[in-house]
Amino acid sequence: MAERKRRIGFAGCPPESVLAPRRGAELIDLDNLVGGVEPRSESLLPRTTCRIIRRILDNALSLDLDEIIVDEGYGKCDSARGLAGVLEQLLDIPVIRTQNENGEGAGTPISDSNLPLFRKMELILDGLVNPRELNLTPESNPPAAIWGVPAADLSIYELFPDGTQVLGWTRCLENRTPSNWELETYVPGEVPTVFFAQTFCPKNIIAQQLARERDGLHVDVDAVLSQPVRAKIEAFLHFRNVRN
Amino acid sequence: MALLGDFGTTWTKLLDTETGQRWVLPTREAAARGRRADIATGHNARRWAPRHINELIALAQGGQRLIDESEFLLLDVGSRDIKYVRMRDGELLGMDWTATCGALTGFTLELLGSYYGIDYSRVPPTDKSVPVTCGILGMEQLFDLVSRGVSETEAVARFARGIAMNAYRFVGEPEQFYLSGGMCENRLFQRSFPDRAEVRPLGRFVLVEGLLPELQGASPQSAPAAEDISDGT
Repeated sequence: MAERKRRIGFAGCPPESVLAPRRGAELIDLDNLVGGVEPRSESLLPRTTCRIIRRILDNALSLDLDEIIVDEGYGKCDSARGLAGVLEQLLDIPVIRTQNENGEGAGTPISDSNLPLFRKMELILDGLVNPRELNLTPESNPPAAIWGVPAADLSIYELFPDGTQVLGWTRCLENRTPSNWELETYVPGEVPTVFFAQTFCPKNIIAQQLARERDGLHVDVDAVLSQPVRAKIEAFLHFRNVRN
Repeated sequence: MALLGDFGTTWTKLLDTETGQRWVLPTREAAARGRRADIATGHNARRWAPRHINELIALAQGGQRLIDESEFLLLDVGSRDIKYVRMRDGELLGMDWTATCGALTGFTLELLGSYYGIDYSRVPPTDKSVPVTCGILGMEQLFDLVSRGVSETEAVARFARGIAMNAYRFVGEPEQFYLSGGMCENRLFQRSFPDRAEVRPLGRFVLVEGLLPELQGASPQSAPAAEDISDGT
C-alpha cells in the first residue's frame, strides 16, 4: 500500500521560505472551508472568537495533520497567536510558529482583474496551496470594491458585479505581504467600497474608520451572511448606481 | 395593473395598483391561500413573488415617495426587526438594520397585548422602561415586574418604552423622524418615544409604496378578488 503523503496545515499567510520546503507534502490552508469537518471548537474557544479562527481549529482537529504552521506575525492577530498555544496543547504534532514580514510584492493581478468577484476570491484563497501563473485581463474601471479579510461565507461576494476590486488584507494575501499596512489600507478614490471584517475580528475598527473616511459601507458577518447585511450591501450598491 | 406585496414576518400588506385597494392580513393566511404578488418585499417575499426588492431599498424608495422633504430619517419598526434609512436629495446617507438587538420586539408587544387583553390606545405611556435588548429577554424582565406587583398594564407600558428607547438610540436620537411599519398603529408605542422627539407616523404601507418605482417591466400576476382576502385595516 502506498504511504500517504505528509499532511501539513497552515494558518494565515506563512512566508514562502517556510512553505517551499514542504511543497512535496499535502498542504492544506486551514483558513479555508474544508468539506466534512465537524465543528468542535465551540467549547474550546471564547464566544467572541471570529469564525476563521474557529475554522482553523475545527480543521486542525479533524484533518489528521502531521504538522501545523501558524503565521503569527504582524499581519495576523492576537487570536492566531493565542490559537498556536491552543493547538500545541490539544494536538501531539509540531506547531511551527512563523512570521511573514515579506515586503516584496508578488503583485495583485487577480484583485485588479475583470473576473467575477467570487472567482477572484476562489483563486486568491487557493493561491498559497496552488500557486500558478494566470493570464488575466485588468479591470480598468472597477464598478465597486470590497475591502477586508476573506469572508467565512463566500456568498457575500456574489452580491457584487464582475470586476469588483479586492482591497485590504485579502489584497495583501494575494501579494504575499500580509503585514504591509500601507497596502492593506490602500483605498482608491471614488469607487463605492464595502468594508468587511468577520464579526469579532479586530480589523472591524479599521474597516469602520476607513468606511467613514471614504464614505463607504462597513459590515461585519459572523458565520453566514444574514438578510440584514445582504440588504445593506444591496442597498448601498443600488443607491450608488452600481448594478450587479 | 399589478399586485404589490410586503410579506412581513407576521403581517402581509398588499396593494392593487389599478384600484388602489389595500389589504392587511396575517402572513400565515396569505401563505395558506397561496397569495402571490408581482413584486414583493419583506421577510417572506422570496416565497411569494417572482421579483423581490430588499426591505432597505423599498423603505428608502417609499420614503422618497411619501415624504416631501429633501432630507429625512425614516425608521421602520416591524414585528421582527428594526431598520432605518437617512436620505438627502435621493442619496442614501446612512442605514442600518438589526434583527438581533431588537429582534422580535414588535411581535412580542403584539403577543403581550393579546395575552393580557390590552387595548394599547388606552394605555398611558410611562417614562420608566424595561431594558429590551430583544423580545425574549424583554419579556423575561416584564414578567419579573409583574411578579413584583407592578400591574400588567404598567409592565407592558414599560416594555413599549424600552422598545421605543432602543429604536430611538438606534437611529441616533434625532429631534424628528418618520416612523413606518406595523408598530405605527400601536398608539402606546408611538407615544413611548422621548418627549423631545417629534415622531411622524407614515403607516404600514411605506415598503409597498417603495415598490411602485419598480413596476416598469413587471409581468402582472392575477390580482385576488377583494372579498377573497380578509381586511385587517
